[in-house]
This record gives sequence, structure tokens and C-alpha cells, in this order.
Amino acid sequence: MFFEWLLVLLGWISVVVFLVVALYKIMRVVRAPLSLRWEVYPVPHESGERRHYGGSYMEDADWPSKYRRPSALGALAPELLEIAAEVFLMKRVRQYNRYGIWPFSMCMHWGIYLTVAWVGLLVLDVVVGNLTGSTFFSLIALYVGPIAFALGAFGSLALAVRRATNQELGLYTTPLDYANLVFLFAIFVAGLLGVAGDPSFLTHGRAYLQGVLTLNPVSVAFAALLPFVLLELFFIYMPFSKLIHYIAKYFTFHQALWDDAFKSAGDANDRRLLQQLSYVVTWSGPHIVPGKTWLEEVQITATEEAAKK
Amino acid sequence: MSPRKLIRFKDMAARTEEPLVSLSADDLLTVPESDQPPLDAPKPRWLETYDFSLDGFSDLDFPKPKSKEEEDRLVRGFLSGLEKLFDPQNNWPFAKIFKLSMDYCVHCQTCSEACHTYVASGRQEIYRPTFRSEVLRRIYQRYFTPGGKLLGSFVGADVELNYKTVWRLLELSYRCNLCRRCALLCPVGVDNALIARELRKLFSQEMGLAAVELLRKGSRQQLKVGSSTGMNPAALRDMMEFAEDDIYERTGKKIKIPIDKKGADILLIHNAGEFLSWPDNPNAFAILFDAAGINWTLSSELVGYDAVNYGVWFDDVELARVALRHVKIAKELGVKKIIVGECGHAHKAICVTADRVLPGDLSVTEMPRESCLPLLRDIVQSGAVKLDPTRNDFPITLHDPCNIVRLMGIVQPQREVIRAVCRQPLREMAPNGVWNYCCGGGSGFAIMSTLNFQQWRVNVSQRMKTAQIMEAFKGLPDEGPKYVCAPCSNCKGALRDALDGYGLTRRHNIQYGGLVDLIVNAMVDLPRPYFEWLPDVKAPD
Repeated sequence: MFFEWLLVLLGWISVVVFLVVALYKIMRVVRAPLSLRWEVYPVPHESGERRHYGGSYMEDADWPSKYRRPSALGALAPELLEIAAEVFLMKRVRQYNRYGIWPFSMCMHWGIYLTVAWVGLLVLDVVVGNLTGSTFFSLIALYVGPIAFALGAFGSLALAVRRATNQELGLYTTPLDYANLVFLFAIFVAGLLGVAGDPSFLTHGRAYLQGVLTLNPVSVAFAALLPFVLLELFFIYMPFSKLIHYIAKYFTFHQALWDDAFKSAGDANDRRLLQQLSYVVTWSGPHIVPGKTWLEEVQITATEEAAKK
Repeated sequence: MSPRKLIRFKDMAARTEEPLVSLSADDLLTVPESDQPPLDAPKPRWLETYDFSLDGFSDLDFPKPKSKEEEDRLVRGFLSGLEKLFDPQNNWPFAKIFKLSMDYCVHCQTCSEACHTYVASGRQEIYRPTFRSEVLRRIYQRYFTPGGKLLGSFVGADVELNYKTVWRLLELSYRCNLCRRCALLCPVGVDNALIARELRKLFSQEMGLAAVELLRKGSRQQLKVGSSTGMNPAALRDMMEFAEDDIYERTGKKIKIPIDKKGADILLIHNAGEFLSWPDNPNAFAILFDAAGINWTLSSELVGYDAVNYGVWFDDVELARVALRHVKIAKELGVKKIIVGECGHAHKAICVTADRVLPGDLSVTEMPRESCLPLLRDIVQSGAVKLDPTRNDFPITLHDPCNIVRLMGIVQPQREVIRAVCRQPLREMAPNGVWNYCCGGGSGFAIMSTLNFQQWRVNVSQRMKTAQIMEAFKGLPDEGPKYVCAPCSNCKGALRDALDGYGLTRRHNIQYGGLVDLIVNAMVDLPRPYFEWLPDVKAPD
């Protein structure tokens, strides 16, 4: 039973490690100092036509006194829609990428999304099925799994081949990038082999997940276990790598490219800024007077600067 | 096309004087019906003193290190600066965005086609938006991350850092216009232009190395003398007196240009380069504001009469210093707001980027700072000034300055003005608006002309815009004047060199200028056209 217990633990460890590391990384970004404004238009939370042609409130005279920001929720909804379009349709890649990677990337990403959905469906099947006896979720999982594995296997392999055979893409692809693709490919192929090789694959998978959820390890065929084990290892690895760019995307867009909030005296951003202006400037350039805070540094006049050096 | 040498990241460390890339006119984007601007090898005497080993071009007149100690000092300085770039306190203004961009690029290269420099160069690898970022990423991994130290080339940590790498990276940080079109197209929101900007910052803030036009003759001179042009307050006053005479001579209008007028509604700040290179533009503001009854003033305080803020391109400390002085001067004058004249980067610096370096009572809500474009639109639409579009009866296209349009979202006011004051429909460039291409002079390039940099700029970074202009005026007879409206001082500087270098004015009578000039040219009470390139005939009644 030692091996079975290990697998149950692996299931929980993968979830915990993923959540803890991802949360840690998110908190580091959230708690980072307030950046200078650095937006790029179009900004999705702009109103009406402006959202489409890339206009802003700065097209109006007297905007500092007239402009009323949308509520946090009102601003977030169109931003999330735009990010979702990128996550699920990869519209920028489709429109602008000249290396033809869009179909492969779509397949691989949808392979990942559907594989996660497949695990989710099996978890729901365990929870709801045990309570109500319904087989609704396992019925959907029966179709979602093979589609996910096939898309993912094709996409990850095709992307690896595309990168290896195109000189320009290949230049930027490190052995680690290939290893990531191979890792994903292995997960999908394991899933495909499980589906193709064992008619009871889904039942075994469900039994394994039930064991994980109820802390009641069961013995399951290796072929049915393999995709789960690989997926769990992948979830442990993922937050340490750039593969969580889908989380970073929220911050690159929301807190950088679309952050058009201007500051008022005494507001939250102003208070954060005041604190940051008390940091000591440590840069060593000849035009920087050492030992000063940012606020002192930027107020130094040319004459004072010459005298103090 | 000349055969293309495969460039690898580790080539950046190659200890050779041979450039990694040799540009040939055959490789570059075709600009139809134009001259080929000169594209010469560096002069032999330069090669002894300066380093041209990136691509055979340079603006950086810093002598090559003469000893191993000097080389090592450069490498140490670079490593120290690189560490600071990643530190949230040392680099609080941009560390978050910078680190996100460094950590999460997935190398899909979707951004590449966004870059006018990369495409116009015939897709030279070193100009790809991701190339310099990747070199920097690999150096950082190799020298600072446990993964890079442990796994080396497996994770890509394979670029050696020596004097040549440092120098080529310094050059490469000045091969990007910071137009940020690549950021617009990135599916992950990675900003490779910011990485280029942060690289420049590392060199400036840690090592004092920056393009001479930006630091020593730029922000340093502006803070000491009052203007990056070298113009002091007394010279400004003299120039304004001359401007009043010039306006009277050309328009018959006796206008007193207000300077240091306490309690005016508006402090107007121009890029001081306008006073010297395109005085018609600030004069046009004076004519229009006078006619519209605007209560405005210029400042003659040090820094207060020059809107430029080059720090936005390369140095946070200099950015904050200049912005602080602009806003304090406005406060002391007691004006209601600052209006930035036709200068793109000055717009972005004071209205947007510097918003979060100025505390409390200097916030934008306490001392508003706005673009001149909505004001110009409102003046035109108010009917306060009588305008006749038939006075602007020539084909016109509009260049969208990146800093005003893509980076501030001011897209329509200038179009509304053109529609109101021009007879012919606007010939939009393709693409336009926030998807425009940079003029190629952005991020300081327009004023950078040390050594042979101007040749690179005109041939490579300005090429796409030049091709766009030709496309916008395609099919028109060569004789009649055509106007490229560029409401930005640096863009005009770039256009001047492009129209000259490619022979577009000589061959096709393509002229350029600002937006306010166009409005004033349409004023019905002017005895003759404001544009001197228009025939001097009596205006129709």
C-alpha cells in the first residue's frame, strides 16, 4: 500500500505546491512597488468607440477634473473579456504571427484546458456521483478526455517540430523549452494510450481520484495512473517555470499595459508613492548624488548637485 | 539580397571588431520612387577610437577601453546595474513590469512583425524586438539565477559577459524607438521596448553612459542652462521678440507673446527645438491663441520653456527632475493648467509617466497637464476663429506620433481638426492610429547624429514611415504640394531627414509640418498663406 499512499499524497502535493507557489508569485507582483504609468492603447475599459479605436479620456480637454473612472468591476469585466479572447482564441498569435504556429499552439493549449477540464469532470463525478448516483459528468469526461489528449499531443509535438525546424524560432528555443514540450507531449500520449489500450481507463482514473479525494488509496492499473502522475508532476513543476504565463498575463495587461489610473493628492496611489519616494537612490551614475532619497534627489538643483559632489 | 550570416546570442561576446551584421541597401525594405540615402562604412579614423562591432554604426562617441582594467570596470558596472534593475526598491519605477517581461516571454515571436526597424532592415536578427531581451535574459540567468548557474546552456544561460557584450548591448539599446508597437501585439503582454529602455537606464543611471544628445547635451544641459538646445532665458526672450516681428511681417498681426504672466489660464510649454528649427509652429500657437482669446503664457524660468524630458527614454532620475521643475514652475506662475505643445514624448512624460513620480500637491488633479490637441480641436469647433478649408487645398496625410497616440490614446482630436480645416479628405496611412508605425526618430533618434548614426536611422528605422508616406500619396502627380502633418517635434525632425534623404520633397513636392500650422494657414484674415511653400496668391474672398 506504500506506493498507493504515495500516489494519493502526490495528488494532494501537486495541488498544494501549485497553489502555494502560484500564490506566492502572485503576491510578489501584487506587493511590488507601484510602477510608473506605462499604458498602451487600446485600453479595454475605455468607453464606447474609444475602446475600439484606442482613444482615451485624454482626448477631452480638462480631463483631470472631468473624467470619472469606471468602477473597479466595470473596468475589470472588459479587460477579462479581452484576456479571455487571448487565452482561448490566441487572436494576436493568429493575426500577427508569421511562423504559422497558431493552429499548433491552439491545439496544445486547448489540449491543456480540456485535460484540466477532464480531471475536473472526474472529480465532479466522484463528488456528485457519490451523492446522487448520477453519471452525467463521467459521460462528458468520456468524450472530453480523448479530444484533449489528441489535441494536446498533436499541438505539443507540432510546436516542438516547428521550433526545431525553423531557424529563427529554433534560435530562441532552449533545451528546457523543448523539455517542457516533451513533458506535455508525454502527458497527452499517456492519456491517449490509456484511452486506447484500456476500456476501463476512465473507471480506473475515477477510482484513483476517488482514492485521492477520500484519502483511501486504491490499486489501479499503471496505464491508467500514468497520465495522472505525469499531470501531477507537471502541476508541481509549472509554477516554477514560465508556463504560468497565463497568470502573469493578468498583471502584464491589467497592471501595466492597461493601467491608466491617474493619481490625486492623498489617494491610495499617492500614499504608496510617498513611501517609495523615501527609498534611497542607490544608482552610481555620475549625475546622481549618493545617499539621497528619491524625493531629495529629484529636487537637487544643478548648483547644489555640483557643490555636493 | 546578400547572404545572411546566422547570428547566435553568444556572438554578442565575440572578441572581434567585425560587425555582427553588415547592412546592405539590397536587404532593406523598398521605398518606391525614392533616392537611396547613403549607407557608408564608418570612417577609418573612427574605427581606431570607437566601437562599431554591432552593425557598423554608432552614435556613442565614447572611446574604446584601453586596458583590461577599463574593460573589467565596464563589466562590473554592468553587472551591478543589472542586479539593481531586478531589485524592487532600487528600480521601483519599473521593476514590476520589467521583471514580468523578462520572466514570461514565451518566444512565439508574434511581436517581430510589429517592429518597423526589424521588418525594414530586411529582418536582421539583431533588430528583432526579442533579440536584445533574450541576450539580457541569458546574461541574467548565467550570473544571477540558481537555475542558470546550475544548468547553464540547458536553460539558455549561455551568453558570456565581457567588454564586447556590454558594448554591443549598449549599442543595441539604441536600435529600438521605444514605440511599443511590439507590446501592443504580444499575446502575453510582454514589453520588449521597456526592456530596451531599462537597458538604457542601466547604462545611464549606473555607468553614466548614454547617447550624448540625451544625457550630456540633453537633460544635463536642460537642467543647468534651461534647455537641451542650449538656449538660456535671455535668448528665449530675444527670440520671442523676433517672433513677434516675424508674425507682424507675415500676417500683419501685432501680437505680444506673453512671458511669465502670473495667473494666466494656461502655461504653454513647447519643445524648445521648435523655436530654433520650426519657429512657425510656436508662432502659429501665438497667432491662434491670440485670435481665440486664450489667456496663456510662456515661462522664462530655467527648464520652464523647454518641454522636452529625455529621461522618459533612458533615465528615471532625470525624468523626475525635469517633470518636477515643469510642474513647480506652473504652480509658481499660478496658472490653471499646463498645455504641452506639439511634442510627443513631452506629452507622455508630463501627462502620463511622471504622474507617479510627483507627490501630493503636484498631482495631475492639483496642477493639470494636458495635450494641446484637444484644445486645438475645441478652438476650431468653437467657431471663435474664422477658418476657410479651401486655403488648405492639397493632399494631406497624418502621422500619428506614438507617444501621443498609441501611448496616450489621443487619436481623434487631430483628425477632427484636419477634417475641419482641410478641403481634401485625409489620406490615412496604413496602418494608422494606435497601430501606426513610428517615424523612426522616436526615443531620441531624431536628435542623435553623432558619428554615423544618422545614416542608420534614415536607412533603417525611418524606412517604414517613408514607405507609408509614399503609399499615402501614391498616384498623385509630382508637381502639386502634399502635406505630411506630424504634430510632434521629434517626428518632424525625423521627417525632415527622411524627406531629404529619400528625395521626397525634391521628387514629389512632399512637405511636412505640424497641426497648428495647418489651422493658422486656414485663418481667413491672413493676407497670404502661412505655409511658405504654397504659392503666394491673394486668398479668395
